[in-house]
Amino acid sequence: MNSGIDLEMSFTQGVQNLGLSHELAHLLWIPLPMLLVLVSAVIGVLVTVWLERKISAAAQQRIGPEYAGALGILQPMADGLKLLVKEDIIPARADNVLFTVGPILVLVPVILSWLIVPFGQNLLISNVGIGIFLWIALSSIQPIGLLMSGYSSNNKYSLLGGLRAAAQSISYEIPLALAVLAIVMMSNSLSTVDIVEQQNTAGFLSWNIWRQPVGFIIFWICALAECERLPFDLPEAEEELVAGYQTEYAGMKFALFYLAGYINLVLSALLVSVLYLGGWGFPISIDWFSSLIGLSIDNPLVQIFAASLGIVMTILKAYLLVFLAILLRWTTPRVRIDQLLDLGWKFLLPISLVNLLVTASLKLAFPMTFGG
Amino acid sequence: MLGFLEKVTDYTKEAFDAAKYLIEGLSVTFDHMRRRPVTVQYPYEKLIPSERYRGRIHYEFDKCIACEVCVRVCPINLPVVDWVMNKETKKKELRNYSIDFGACIFCGNCVEYCPTNCLSMTEEYELAAFDRHSLNYDNVALGRLPTSVTSDPSVRPLKELAYLPKGVMDPHELPANKKRAGKLPSQIIKEIQKENTQDELNNNSEDIFPNKINSNN
Repeated sequence: MNSGIDLEMSFTQGVQNLGLSHELAHLLWIPLPMLLVLVSAVIGVLVTVWLERKISAAAQQRIGPEYAGALGILQPMADGLKLLVKEDIIPARADNVLFTVGPILVLVPVILSWLIVPFGQNLLISNVGIGIFLWIALSSIQPIGLLMSGYSSNNKYSLLGGLRAAAQSISYEIPLALAVLAIVMMSNSLSTVDIVEQQNTAGFLSWNIWRQPVGFIIFWICALAECERLPFDLPEAEEELVAGYQTEYAGMKFALFYLAGYINLVLSALLVSVLYLGGWGFPISIDWFSSLIGLSIDNPLVQIFAASLGIVMTILKAYLLVFLAILLRWTTPRVRIDQLLDLGWKFLLPISLVNLLVTASLKLAFPMTFGG
Repeated sequence: MLGFLEKVTDYTKEAFDAAKYLIEGLSVTFDHMRRRPVTVQYPYEKLIPSERYRGRIHYEFDKCIACEVCVRVCPINLPVVDWVMNKETKKKELRNYSIDFGACIFCGNCVEYCPTNCLSMTEEYELAAFDRHSLNYDNVALGRLPTSVTSDPSVRPLKELAYLPKGVMDPHELPANKKRAGKLPSQIIKEIQKENTQDELNNNSEDIFPNKINSNN
């Protein structure tokens, strides 16, 4: 297996050629992918917000944003700008510190999780060995922030919303982790890069979705619940709780929640595509394709083509899932809190346990197909 | 043991049914995405209000006899009729008349009962104001006629759903020279009159139909 394009190596080598030490070159390199991922995450959010508004409008036979830029493309920017210059209000008897820390604690773990999202062989910030486990660990920090902001707002709706958010996140984390565990078991690695690589041996036929259809559904349901998207948006159910834990927030602090919600959605979609839909893999194997044209896989042209195709494929798959999430939003009614916990504990948990056991036994029985 | 298995099969069946209904629902929303928008782009396009639309009230000062019937039939006695008795002519002399549209519910009772038809309802509905006191219209403001949607060059008038031809849902792509579904009110009146005259010829009874229709030719 070739290693593909390694931008870090070429960058450090280039800087070293200028006469700088290896450590300095590495230090110069570190902020670049971070900045790139931060920017791409924010752009991803802007695109998602625009898509959400446009697709929602289409599903309801409306037009949607139209005047801010061509087809309203600049509408999310306008929204963000509005929130940026809005007055930052802290309610009179709220806890100042917790009220401010809450949204930060919600946003930071979500952005941090982008660390492990691969867009190509070496196109990720860090190929940490515990990869997907890191994401699960980080995502369990989020409910603390939600509870914090709900409790510190000194508002009954906020408190109820925060409590619901915590209950929901905690109960859906378990089936989510179990679904991921089945994948990890099959690919013998927690690293996202290994998980994708192991899926890209024979085009789309080797994607995990065929071997883990149940896990895919469990993961998607749990991801929606973790993102607090309909049908699981009870923490901010506007008909009952005004806006849940966000009720007292305005201006930039509200924008942080907004941003966290959408980054989380894009991140979940990306992770579904990484774990189940072959990540950066093209439905047809690139190796086979390049041999068909008669070019070596190590040819720089093929390499660049493969890398850009990988990025496009990852984003395409992720946005197809975002589209599905938006469509689901206008299809499904909101579940009640008891139905939510019922689904989490009495349906998804046993099913995911059975799924894990079946995967384990299949792995023992057919080590060839299930990664023995 | 068998009972347990039955439960399990029921449960799985329910889960599959739920998935089936979810997919059905998704297909409905997906289908809606290819349909054209039905919304009216308000400040640029406006719906033509129907004939009997109850909008802002129009008032003709010269016709008014200051009888205050409008005040008596109003649910909240809203119209203010300011008149004085002229001792010499022994007649009421009207000085001011006003209606506060911040409180009016546009029930149309005053219009209905006005003996001299000096009150009428217009098709004006854009009554937004920065100050609620500016909604208190005096006789000058009440005497203004609203701009018709059809005559405003900056507005594209659109027909309401009930005025579209049969089978057409979108007023934007209205086929020319196609009439609305059903009959026009004038056609209905004409038909009734026709029947009426036939009945008169048949049995000379006049009190089957109210006089209003008879006199409306």
